[in-house]
Amino acid sequence: MCDANRVTEILKILCACDGVAGYEDEVRQAIENLAAPHADQMMTDALGNLLVFKKGRQHREKPLAVCAHMDEVGFMVREITEKGMLKFLTVGSIDPRVMIGRKLRVGPKKLPGVISLKAIHLTTPKERAVAPSAGSLYIDIGARSRAEAEQYVQIGDPCYFDSPFEEFGNGRIKSKAIDDRIGCAVMVALLEEELPYDTWFVFATNEEIGGNRGALVAANRLQPGHFLVIEGTTACDVPDVPAHGHSCTQEKGCVVSILDKGSVYSRPLINQITAKADAEGIRWQYRRSANGFTDARALHIAAAGARGMGIATPTRYIHCAVNVVCKCDIESVLQMARLFVKECHDNA
Amino acid sequence: MTLKEKIKTLGNAYGVSGDEFAVARLAAGMLEPYVDRVEIDKFGNVAGYKSCGKPGAKTLMLDAHIDEIGFLVTGITKEGFLRFVGMGVDQRMLPGSTLNVMTHTRGNILGVVGAVPPHLQAPGDNTRALPIEKLYVDIGMSYEEACQTVRIGDYMTFTSQAFDLLGDQVCGKSLDDRACFCCLLHALELLQGKTLDVDLVILGTTKEEIGGHGASYRTYVDHPDLAIAIDVCHARTDDNLPGDRVQELGGGPVIAVGTNSVPRFARKVMELARAKQIPFQLSAAPAATGTNAWSMQIVGEGCATLVISLPLKYMHSPVEVLKMSDVENVGRLLAELAMDIDGRWHL
Repeated sequence: MCDANRVTEILKILCACDGVAGYEDEVRQAIENLAAPHADQMMTDALGNLLVFKKGRQHREKPLAVCAHMDEVGFMVREITEKGMLKFLTVGSIDPRVMIGRKLRVGPKKLPGVISLKAIHLTTPKERAVAPSAGSLYIDIGARSRAEAEQYVQIGDPCYFDSPFEEFGNGRIKSKAIDDRIGCAVMVALLEEELPYDTWFVFATNEEIGGNRGALVAANRLQPGHFLVIEGTTACDVPDVPAHGHSCTQEKGCVVSILDKGSVYSRPLINQITAKADAEGIRWQYRRSANGFTDARALHIAAAGARGMGIATPTRYIHCAVNVVCKCDIESVLQMARLFVKECHDNA
Repeated sequence: MTLKEKIKTLGNAYGVSGDEFAVARLAAGMLEPYVDRVEIDKFGNVAGYKSCGKPGAKTLMLDAHIDEIGFLVTGITKEGFLRFVGMGVDQRMLPGSTLNVMTHTRGNILGVVGAVPPHLQAPGDNTRALPIEKLYVDIGMSYEEACQTVRIGDYMTFTSQAFDLLGDQVCGKSLDDRACFCCLLHALELLQGKTLDVDLVILGTTKEEIGGHGASYRTYVDHPDLAIAIDVCHARTDDNLPGDRVQELGGGPVIAVGTNSVPRFARKVMELARAKQIPFQLSAAPAATGTNAWSMQIVGEGCATLVISLPLKYMHSPVEVLKMSDVENVGRLLAELAMDIDGRWHL
């Protein structure tokens, strides 16, 4: 499991960073620091995407792009009330039910704040059956007035779940932002290896807000012939969900997407790569869902179009403070990504 | 350790009603420097004695409870997840939270309360709270591993490392009521080197959240003339309705007045607070106060009880909030009272 251990180390570094769409600077800086010793070329484009090129032993006829997104779901200050409370919007989609009782980091000063509800003693059972809307919740940083809050926070400031990286159970990791720092971490681990062919690594911005606009401009620039998107995808292997609703299962290896609401992945490519994976004993499973979409949506239609695959680490409880992944699955995803980079080329 | 550090240390410790022993050891250690002797009894109650050495002196008992709200494991699913019930918790605090499982085999382990994945939700589902019986704790184990590690009946608690908010406020779990134990420590700190005419019994009691059993037991054993329960009360939050009974955070100690917080006793304490210029607030308490004073009042031949409260926001959540000035003022008021009670003092 030494491969998984390195990815885990990188993941820990990246999960400690904060970055919603438009505010990915901290994540990008951390990745730049990790990638710099191994990169042959690095650039940040107008949308904040970090593009890293690494030479392989051989040139590739058409560029290959491996892509994961740097941004996470989070919050943004919408209004500061007279009493010094912060009303907020979400950046990306978050179920309001996972916000209550959570600690946040607020604004550039990373001030602690909390979202909570008045005490249970002041509510009725009927009230406790209703989930408050995000619009009715607020962030409390301890300020007693708008003027006091404004010394630390302003409208437009991003806020994040404060939920540290922790290992638990049988090889499990819990943190905020594993979606999609796990994809970024796998890419950094690959960058640290010697590669068989030239490869571009796209650390994309703006994934969680829809439109895949970060990946789109990166793809327009690179015009890849092939792409690989690495995600954290919903594992729904939890109680009360029938097996056919699991989408994917933890401890069953790398998730391979067939299609989703943004892309149809290349079936011949999937067959080619997974056959090789079987031969090499890499554990993988199909994503048994057609929901959601990834940056593949932009990558496969950019310029003249590209063939690609979407792979992912099965991730429980995405889009909340406690994403959970399993180290053995991380290992499989890294192996699959490595295999893709090696096998996928148009060279004669 | 500063007063604030003591609050955080006690708040971060784990001890649900009936299994407060780890907290009791910490609390006893903090109490020891201030009193003649400390004991931890078979309930897990902490009792410290500070005697004035004068014959016929009254006994003043100051109580704060050291147990916390929590959860009970009721089942292990075939996938290895834990089912549970809550004890005093709003189920809406749970999805996306972490819990600490107090296991009988491996001590404290981390668990995660998951949330329903978006693709399995129908429109409008997120306006309904997830009922606690549908929730589960993910401890990252198979059924076999889970069964070897966790036992049905094991307790769970919220996890939280207490931290500061603006304005010298502290946020964390279990400030109810361990912050009030720290109010007692602060009072003792202020009494260092002072000559008293009253014997003090300082308590960190158990099982308050399920009925005040620890405090009953100590009242029987220690037989006080006067007993004060120091507990938290609701501080105003932004989502209060006009009918909510709340006090102001930062407004100082809250003195309850009513049959369980004896009006004559309450008035004397108010007069004292005015004389010593300690800010305070009042709370009308026509019947039960929901504190240990309720059980202490009728032990044996009965005793005169009083309730003094510390304002607390978001009570029974993992993110309870207090203001340090309130902790200090509760401590000051108790210290002034201890100094005020002499041979002639009466209700």
